[in-house]
Amino acid sequence: MMNRTIAVMLGSALLLISLLAMLIRGDGNRSTTSTSHDKPLMVYCAASNRAVMEQVRQAYEDEFQRSVQIQYGPSQTLLSSIEVTRDGDLYLPADDSFLEIGRSKQLVAEILPIASMQAVVAVSKGNPKSIATFADLQSSNVRLVQASPEGTAIGKVTKAILTNLNRWEELDRATLAYRGTVNEVANDISVGAADAGIVYDAVLHTYPGLEFLELPELSAGVSQVSIGVIASTQQPQAALHFARYLSARDRGLLRYAEHGFHTSAGDVWADHPSLSLFAGSMLRPAIEETITAFEEREGVSVDRVYNGCGILVAQMKGGQHPDAYFACDNEFMNQVHDLFPQPVEVSQNELVILVQKGNPLGIARLSDLARDGIRVGVGHEKQCAMGWLTQNTFREAGVEQSVLPNVTVQSPTGDMLVNQLRTKSLDAAVVYLSNAAGSADVLDAIRIDGLKCSIATQPWAVSKESRYPSTAERLFTKLSSADSKEIFAAEGFQWKIDPSKSVAE
Amino acid sequence: MTRTDPHREGSKGIASQRTRRSDAPFFLVMGGISSCFLLLILLLLLADVLFTSWSDFSAALRKPEILAAMRLTLLSCTVAALLSVWVATPLGYLLSRFKFPGRILIDTLVDIPIVLPPLVLGLSLLILFHLSIGQWQLESFLRDRLGFPVTFRWPAVVLAQFSVACAFAVRTMRVTFDQMSPRCEEVARTLGCSRAQAFLHIALPQAWRGMIAAMTIAWARALGEFGPILVFAGATRMKTEVLSTTVFLELSIGQLDAAVAVSLLMVVMAMAVLLILRLLGAGVAA
Repeated sequence: MMNRTIAVMLGSALLLISLLAMLIRGDGNRSTTSTSHDKPLMVYCAASNRAVMEQVRQAYEDEFQRSVQIQYGPSQTLLSSIEVTRDGDLYLPADDSFLEIGRSKQLVAEILPIASMQAVVAVSKGNPKSIATFADLQSSNVRLVQASPEGTAIGKVTKAILTNLNRWEELDRATLAYRGTVNEVANDISVGAADAGIVYDAVLHTYPGLEFLELPELSAGVSQVSIGVIASTQQPQAALHFARYLSARDRGLLRYAEHGFHTSAGDVWADHPSLSLFAGSMLRPAIEETITAFEEREGVSVDRVYNGCGILVAQMKGGQHPDAYFACDNEFMNQVHDLFPQPVEVSQNELVILVQKGNPLGIARLSDLARDGIRVGVGHEKQCAMGWLTQNTFREAGVEQSVLPNVTVQSPTGDMLVNQLRTKSLDAAVVYLSNAAGSADVLDAIRIDGLKCSIATQPWAVSKESRYPSTAERLFTKLSSADSKEIFAAEGFQWKIDPSKSVAE
Repeated sequence: MTRTDPHREGSKGIASQRTRRSDAPFFLVMGGISSCFLLLILLLLLADVLFTSWSDFSAALRKPEILAAMRLTLLSCTVAALLSVWVATPLGYLLSRFKFPGRILIDTLVDIPIVLPPLVLGLSLLILFHLSIGQWQLESFLRDRLGFPVTFRWPAVVLAQFSVACAFAVRTMRVTFDQMSPRCEEVARTLGCSRAQAFLHIALPQAWRGMIAAMTIAWARALGEFGPILVFAGATRMKTEVLSTTVFLELSIGQLDAAVAVSLLMVVMAMAVLLILRLLGAGVAA
């Protein structure tokens, strides 16, 4: 008996070892069969997006030989996993409200919009209960189910819009049961446990036995599906590469549209997109570092063209259309309003009188520039915002005629005037405070008080013709972040973005 | 099914006829009540069979993802069940045979995975592996130092299944040893056996039936495990997807046919494995 006992024990131990070896070998096989040349990407994805996500993953792996591992589950469960493990690269919940929660917990960095879904009423094919209006949902012979207003996106949306219409309570009374997910609602109708339910239209794509009705009461019920880059990812470029592929109008969005989602105009796909940016020269020191960091993280190029805004506007009117324009002043953005319909004011910069260190000529106000023998430099009134503002300021201060004879240089950029001051070929220059930021050791800045027109406001806008509007928006998100704000402040700019509307805090 | 009373052997035919008449209602009532439950299970299975079709079932069987999930399910459940028996046998024996300080506490701790909601267990495992103690973290240590990451990989599947299955196995083994008289082991010790020898010579051979029962329960429990796996191991296709997560994933995109087909596959697998284990148990006991 002893021998038999030991034999069985040894046998079971050997069986255990063999099974573990099979598990390890199976795992290894999967790793080696993967066509990845990099570390696989790990995506946390809402289970409801599985059908479309699997198609995109397959296409992406085929096109780039990079392995993508997708973890499916309920959105909230996945978010909890990310919070605990601080692992993974991307997160795609069923509704972007989860991404906002993730962002508030600093778990999510970039967010890329993908598609939207509309709240509708799902019924069996042929609408056997003849439901046509909102009132029909409250009929005693209609078994209505809804997704939980506390735990699901569709439930939250439905409750919010119907509460606004004062129709929530009546629907709540008519609801037979609340379910944990939107798919459970659809499943109930599919198996005949319910007659109607409120779901997203895109969810019904995989339910051939169901159809939907659009009710005016639910028309405001729209949810956005977006993908977020997990803040702790070790491979942001690769993560953003897949996210850009998923949200590209000629790649992932095609699959989303096929699955019944409403897609908006995403970027055109490019393995390594090149974003063109026109920006006023004054902004260079404030944005250059942020743009370089953006390029590195995103794996994209930003072709910057810094110049006087008048020159930039002329180039755009001549046919050059950048993806984004960061103007020195609203005046120059207004001149290309047809190309950039939605500008956002980012910062302000004020004109100052820049003089040699210690102010040896005792210049205290604009009128002092009119004194005999003073060599003054100003911006070119046509070529740059600074020149245009300087002219306005002179006019407003009533010194235009007296100072102009002393103007020896008109330059398209403030930096050139600063250099001329440093070489002492000028006694004074009217430039932006930001132009003087790096020359405090050799130059002094004198404020121009009491003239509102001496302050320039810098707006940012993305071209309506841009091939990469989403990437350009993400660049703006970086430029409006807290880190960027600090750089702007250090360069002498004042921040203009409303903190409550800032998207990257 | 009938029991005879030796003292009434040879009693009159009328009396025996009365006994037979009184047994019929007894078996009718008992059998009727019992068959209600059996009927419920059969009706559940029948409903599943009627809901799906042979083509759906065979299509599910042909999918490489389902085959991978089936393979992982079989392997992980068996590993979890074997590990459970290996752990449950000594633990059940100690709890059954010895009174020691903290015994009640250990007994209670063993039951915790049984009473905890499955999702909580998964979350607890996830937190355990990612809890930072200073600069040290279990997951990082296993991944970076030993090259054996656990979370979101197959070891997490096995661990999640084992955590629950082992608790049931311990309970079964404890009951098994409780029902065995310690007298034989004590006699063996008076004849010169050490505790280990008494355990190996006497206790273990007598506990075979209980060990098979523990393995059966552990395997079945591991098969049905879902919540902890979803949280701790995730549901990555071809990687950590077991059949229970396949059912969830199919349901979540409205593929009811596929979900039912996989459910039926689980029923078939469970019946086959449990039947083999029962027959094995009967063989060993014989």
